[in-house]
Amino acid sequence: MSLVAEPGLVAEGEQPEARSRGRSYGSYVVVKVLGSIGSLLFMLLVNFFLFRVLPGNAAQTLGRGRLNTPAQVAAFNKAYGLDKSVPQQFLIFLKSTAHGDLGLSVKYRLPVSQLIMDRLWPTLLLVGLSTILSTLIGVYLGIRGAWSRGSVFDKISTSSSLTLYAMPEWWLGLMLIAGLGVGFAFVPGIFPTGGLHSPDVNPSSLHGVLDTTWHLVLPVATLTLAYLAEYSLIMRSSLLDELGEDYLQTARAKGLRDVVVRNRHAVRNALLPTTTVIALNIGFVVSGAITVETVFSIPGLGLLSTEAIGVPDFAVLQGTFLVASAGVIAANLVANLIYGWLDPRVRT
Amino acid sequence: MLLPGLALGAPAQGKDKVVFKVAMLGEGVDSLNPFLGFQAPSYEMWGLTYDYLVGYSMKDMSPEPDLATKWSTSPDGLTWTFTVRSGVKFSDGVPLTAKDVAFTFNRVLAKDSVEGTNWLSYLTGVKSVTAPDATTVVLKLDKPVATLPLLPIPIVPEHIWKNVSESQMKSYPAAPTGGKPVVGSGPFRLVQGSADGSTFKFEANPDYWGGAPHIDEVIFQFYKNDDSAIQAVIKGEADFVEGINALEVKKLQSQPGITAQNGNSPGFDEIAFNAGSTSDSKGTKKIGNPNPAVLDPKFRHALGYALNLPQLITKVYQGAGLPGTTIVPPNYTAYHWEPPADQKMTFDLSKAGQLLDAAGYKKGSDGKRTLPDGKPIGTLRLAARSDSPTSLNTMDYFKTWLGDLGIDSQVSTYSSSQLTNVIYKGNFDAFQWGWYVEPDPDSMLSYLTCAQRQHSSDSFYCNPAYDKLYNEQHVNTDHASRVNQIKQMQEILYRDSPYLVTAYSAIGEAVRSDRFHCLVTQPNPGGIWLEQYGVYNYIHMKPASDTSACDAAPGLTGAVKTSAPADSSSKTGPFLIGVGALVVVALVGGGIVMMRRRTTVEDRE
Repeated sequence: MSLVAEPGLVAEGEQPEARSRGRSYGSYVVVKVLGSIGSLLFMLLVNFFLFRVLPGNAAQTLGRGRLNTPAQVAAFNKAYGLDKSVPQQFLIFLKSTAHGDLGLSVKYRLPVSQLIMDRLWPTLLLVGLSTILSTLIGVYLGIRGAWSRGSVFDKISTSSSLTLYAMPEWWLGLMLIAGLGVGFAFVPGIFPTGGLHSPDVNPSSLHGVLDTTWHLVLPVATLTLAYLAEYSLIMRSSLLDELGEDYLQTARAKGLRDVVVRNRHAVRNALLPTTTVIALNIGFVVSGAITVETVFSIPGLGLLSTEAIGVPDFAVLQGTFLVASAGVIAANLVANLIYGWLDPRVRT
Repeated sequence: MLLPGLALGAPAQGKDKVVFKVAMLGEGVDSLNPFLGFQAPSYEMWGLTYDYLVGYSMKDMSPEPDLATKWSTSPDGLTWTFTVRSGVKFSDGVPLTAKDVAFTFNRVLAKDSVEGTNWLSYLTGVKSVTAPDATTVVLKLDKPVATLPLLPIPIVPEHIWKNVSESQMKSYPAAPTGGKPVVGSGPFRLVQGSADGSTFKFEANPDYWGGAPHIDEVIFQFYKNDDSAIQAVIKGEADFVEGINALEVKKLQSQPGITAQNGNSPGFDEIAFNAGSTSDSKGTKKIGNPNPAVLDPKFRHALGYALNLPQLITKVYQGAGLPGTTIVPPNYTAYHWEPPADQKMTFDLSKAGQLLDAAGYKKGSDGKRTLPDGKPIGTLRLAARSDSPTSLNTMDYFKTWLGDLGIDSQVSTYSSSQLTNVIYKGNFDAFQWGWYVEPDPDSMLSYLTCAQRQHSSDSFYCNPAYDKLYNEQHVNTDHASRVNQIKQMQEILYRDSPYLVTAYSAIGEAVRSDRFHCLVTQPNPGGIWLEQYGVYNYIHMKPASDTSACDAAPGLTGAVKTSAPADSSSKTGPFLIGVGALVVVALVGGGIVMMRRRTTVEDRE
């Protein structure tokens, strides 16, 4: 789920009269924001037509063995607007989206916005927490590894994070369930096997928060371990690039301690690529983590979208992809704005 | 069967609540609104919340009194009169009367209504539904309907649902709001849950007309993978798991405190052929590209002798299931037709070869069979569903057996929705799928009529003789002669073989019998414990602590008995571990802050 791209490359098409040198930060912001809005509108249109190529038809897949007579099928299609032609459906889609209405899920018969709100919180908790943890731990491992390249620490951290990166997430999750959820030999099973919280607790009470934390340990650990290498390897390699630089010699020559040279000078300069990756990955938080959500039975946005494909439930797919693309576009915009602010060269 | 006064009532106050936790697998609940949902778990939710006019027996799912204590039909079969039980109350205290029943049915009957999508076929031929008094419901029909009194429509409270307009109905959630349970008259009340959610919590209705359940709460937790759900039962996080496979049942049977079984479900799996794909139900235009061989009933029937069904049951179904014959499962003893020995397709490759030879599909010089006109058959396209290992394995075996007969074939896999598309376009020769069959086989039989082509028919089978029998049995109120017609229809299908029924499938279930007992299967014996027709077990199961005899169940056998308890897991663990995890997060965060602090301190030195 990572996407590594230099900011400035994204949405580059939308820079019409950006040729003037030394453009002000204000106009840079305006261009970037307009570009993002353009991308979002484009995604909206693509979403509508993209999913129309999916096979299947809701009345046939959902109503197998239930919609027994042609009259029942007709009533179903009429109620959910499936009897209309694609151009008509497109006009209705444009009109309702303009009013902020994402439509009705044909599977759950509930407003898509409500479904997304229900699923957003579990996904944010799961993927958001994992992204934060893997960033912190990954960056730390990358710094330590690069600074003492070839050391035992570096060898162990690089090889183990690469191994974890190569493992399928669902397999890692199942192993954790088998080991720590169920227990083996003399190890007791101390974590639950699935779900976001126990069914009979109020998630907003203290008891509920602790219970949710307990349930999230294994899935968050799975995703954190899986994402770790993404950050540690980029951090490690960009820090390695800095190692031979003259300014580090200078810093050492001034008599600074090794730790200060590392954290104050080298890491600062090496952080830029990592920041880009983090910013972009944060955008992907709202698309969910389908495999881990499945293994741990966490009702997140990833599961909502995958289950909608089989129907196909167009309104849900449009809604979840709109949220996902809005997340990525917003994260890109933020990364672009920060870059433009940090480094005036990218404003041209 | 339901004897009021026999129930012992909810456990006395001060005791721990008895909570029955069910781990559910597969598709979730698609709607709590009984007019909208299609998925099987939704039916379980409605069954606990609402009552039905007519119920199903545990023995063989034949119609049985529920809200209706008795019913009668006029000699011409055009008027049905139901007597509704008095003294039944909805959970908000409002009495349930015949008017609520008429209201519910009339919403289903309203023209082009969304309420009709799920239920209209049960009221086919019904002209009007009225409630002349509080305990009488009268159905007037255009023509007699054989499926009555079967009426599996949940009865909703008029005083709540009359405020739901037709345009609101299509997205009316019927879910608990603001802590208030959904209003219904059933044995339980839904207090927590929404259609797309993964947790549903029910509380027992102490005033249930059939006697209060012996448990206090039922909680359904939906799992997205088998392993987690099974581990949950082993660990004791769940008391029941539904929908596991035969290997998993075997594994659970060896666990202490757990009773597991493969229950025969009223469903079958089949290999279906393209019997002549057409553009509409009238057969106006041929579409798709079926192989000429599979269009021939003789060819299809001969292949029935090439299926080694016992091997399929052992290898593909791990022994959980029965070799199949017709589209009405033997669970429905009254309607099932079992082919006599001289007609039965049993595994016999030489017989299959002889039948193919006789039908003109002779072997050419290359050892491959040809069409009667001498042209090569080519490669048959067999479709399997990628989401079902059973489907894939069945088709792989089928391919091997076809090869033994000198027929080439190729297996392609599709997702269920892709396969639906392929089927409706007619671009296939055979595929594997299955059906669940309702207690009245009418709807299953209808799927093979000509009129269902491009609707519910997936084989495009069309035989006027079969259609004639279908239409006759549909209006035949004489049970014995109707059964005879239904058996004749099965015989026609068996001979024409649009479907080769491969297996009567089983559903794997496991219960923590160290905690709950008195569960009874439906049908009895040999059936399943949950997702039955009706909600008998939720009402009659007892916690292991309640050692009194199970509720009287005349004619039913094999109730689940208590077993020795397994080690129970610690209940304080969760909180300590939750605290522990928070501490770890705090330490990581704190460590990073400390690192920054340290650098500044060192910097100052």
